[in-house]
Amino acid sequence: MNRLHLVWTLARKDGHLFLADRRAAILSFVVPIVLASAFGLIFHRPSERMGVVRLPLLVVDEDHSPLSRHVIDDLRQSEQVDLQQVDRSTAEARIADRSCGVAVVLPRGFGQMTWTHTLTPQGRPHVELLHHPLSAMESQWAEGVLTEIVLRRMARDQANVLPGTSVPMHLDRPFRLARILCPQDSQQRFNAYSHSFSGMTLQYLLFWGMESGLLFLRERHCGIWRRFLAAPVPIWTMLAGRALATAWIAVLQVLTTFAFGHLVFGVRVDGSWLGFLMLVSAVGLLAAAIGLLVATLGGTEARARNVCILAILAISLLGGLWLPMFLLPRWVQELSLSLPTTWAMRGLDCATWEGGSLAQMLPSVLMVFAFAGLFLSAALARFLWMEARQRRGWTS
Amino acid sequence: MTALPALALNDVSIRYGSFVAVERLSFQVQRGEMFGLLGPNGSGKSSTLMAIAGVLEPFAGSIRIEGLARHEAPETYAHRLGFVPQEIALYEELTAFDNLALFGSLYGLSGHHLHDRVSEALTRVGMLARARERVGRFSGGMKRRINLACALLHRPTVLLLDEPTVALDPASRDSLFVTLDELREQGQAIVLTTHHLDEAESFCDRVGILRQGKLVALGRPADLVRATRNDALLYGHLAQHVDAQQQQSLRERLAATGVDLEVTGKRVRLSARDHEALGQALAVLLTEGMELESFRTPPVRLERLFRNPVPSTKEVA
Repeated sequence: MNRLHLVWTLARKDGHLFLADRRAAILSFVVPIVLASAFGLIFHRPSERMGVVRLPLLVVDEDHSPLSRHVIDDLRQSEQVDLQQVDRSTAEARIADRSCGVAVVLPRGFGQMTWTHTLTPQGRPHVELLHHPLSAMESQWAEGVLTEIVLRRMARDQANVLPGTSVPMHLDRPFRLARILCPQDSQQRFNAYSHSFSGMTLQYLLFWGMESGLLFLRERHCGIWRRFLAAPVPIWTMLAGRALATAWIAVLQVLTTFAFGHLVFGVRVDGSWLGFLMLVSAVGLLAAAIGLLVATLGGTEARARNVCILAILAISLLGGLWLPMFLLPRWVQELSLSLPTTWAMRGLDCATWEGGSLAQMLPSVLMVFAFAGLFLSAALARFLWMEARQRRGWTS
Repeated sequence: MTALPALALNDVSIRYGSFVAVERLSFQVQRGEMFGLLGPNGSGKSSTLMAIAGVLEPFAGSIRIEGLARHEAPETYAHRLGFVPQEIALYEELTAFDNLALFGSLYGLSGHHLHDRVSEALTRVGMLARARERVGRFSGGMKRRINLACALLHRPTVLLLDEPTVALDPASRDSLFVTLDELREQGQAIVLTTHHLDEAESFCDRVGILRQGKLVALGRPADLVRATRNDALLYGHLAQHVDAQQQQSLRERLAATGVDLEVTGKRVRLSARDHEALGQALAVLLTEGMELESFRTPPVRLERLFRNPVPSTKEVA
């Protein structure tokens, strides 16, 4: 009984310690609620609106026949796709820049397709399905929708013009389908490990930044900090020193992870090495900046940890570090452009399997550096403000 | 032309928000002098040290090291100062040498110059043989010595030590004071805060006593004790408990005759300006039916000043 009482006493002590930092305690309840709500908001598909979710799809009409026009009209009216008709070069460019994942090319001779042709494979027209390597699932979706619409249209237009002919019992797809990756040379370079190594390395770096920031926060609350303050060391140098150490360790982590990925899984930097190294430096600085920003905004260590976890998980998801972006709603995809992780991920994809040049990588590099600079400036401003207050005795 | 004091505080006030931690504090410390800052918890000792170190900014007044205020030349000011915080301010994961090398480099030391200074500081605190061991493996006393060594690397004019003997055994404490004595002989001005009044009495050239942020006594320990030699103090044990109302009434009555009364449970403490006043106070207690089971009158020592300081901030010659 006494032992049980001891257990209870110790448990109660831990409860009191947990509640001692009220804001941290509240955050520990709020963070999972916010995360769950945010993820739900992003992925929720209400049953009554299921039909409203549409696949963004490009269509190229190289046939200009009545059948191709009818099929395009039917696709346009379909509740499953959000259709845009473009020419072939536009379709290729848009898939390459990932503003759309899939395009259907209706070839010349598409309108000549008849039930009779469907019985002989050689006579079937050759429909092309252009898609980005990361949009394989979207292309399968598009294939299913196209097949269904073509079969319906042909059944409607042609079943009654063949008197005495019945629709074959073993109805086959009346066209052949060729899958083509865009950009065209990405087929050789694409490696699923490239994407996962980029995404998971980036996420780990964000957690490393958090750890570094929390260490900084811990240091500020002990005697070592007073020793630093008494030394002839400008305050900004303390923050810069921490950022530099965090960044170069992050750079080493990225390089080590990619070296392992190369040796074991064949992950390659097919793009500009200079661009890749610039991006890795920017990403290292970004990790340091995010950690320091949260450390200066977080207050206590427990509060900072909660806020940091929330921020990292959110920008990892929204930045496409976990899932391909096409699985996220369009508004999330648009929102993600305002996140550094999106640009970092794009840059790493460009540097690895996309084989991008320095010029192609530069927007990502510059954006990540800009975000890192912005976060570091905010952290520095907040830090100087806090230190000035503390030095004047406004906070104990 | 007289030499500037190593450290001079003039009307220094320190505030935390609206709370006044230190009020109009003034004192000077010369080169080759060890100055002890005494006072109960919360009296403003550590705040004063942090203000001298530049960690806190005084609300009012000035602090100068050899005539230089921090705002006039922050780097030069910091170079003239060595600060040993109350906590062990070291990286436990690093070796003693690496810790010292880090803090030395903050003061602009580098290369073999830094190496020599680190070795010198470690030798001074008797830790050179353990230089390459991680600080986390050291005993509390060893860590304190390394803590001190970090502040000696750049040979400061003024050395500030906040409670340097906390948690030290007597042997380590003696060893620390031997080191401090050597530094004093070499001309360093040393300012330390302590709760150990005996060590302040034994080792400090002068002491200042703070109470509620005000300097209530300042001078050489022997002079302060001499100035209060007529004071009388009695610690006793009451035969029975006294209720709060009766305590208050007695306290007021005795205060009129210049006697302080403190009652904690059955323990009683009487403090009077002389033995005659103390005798009269005892008589009052007896007439009120407060019988003493036992009592003692301790010898006059600095500890008496700590609790009942000379009611003047003027320096006792």
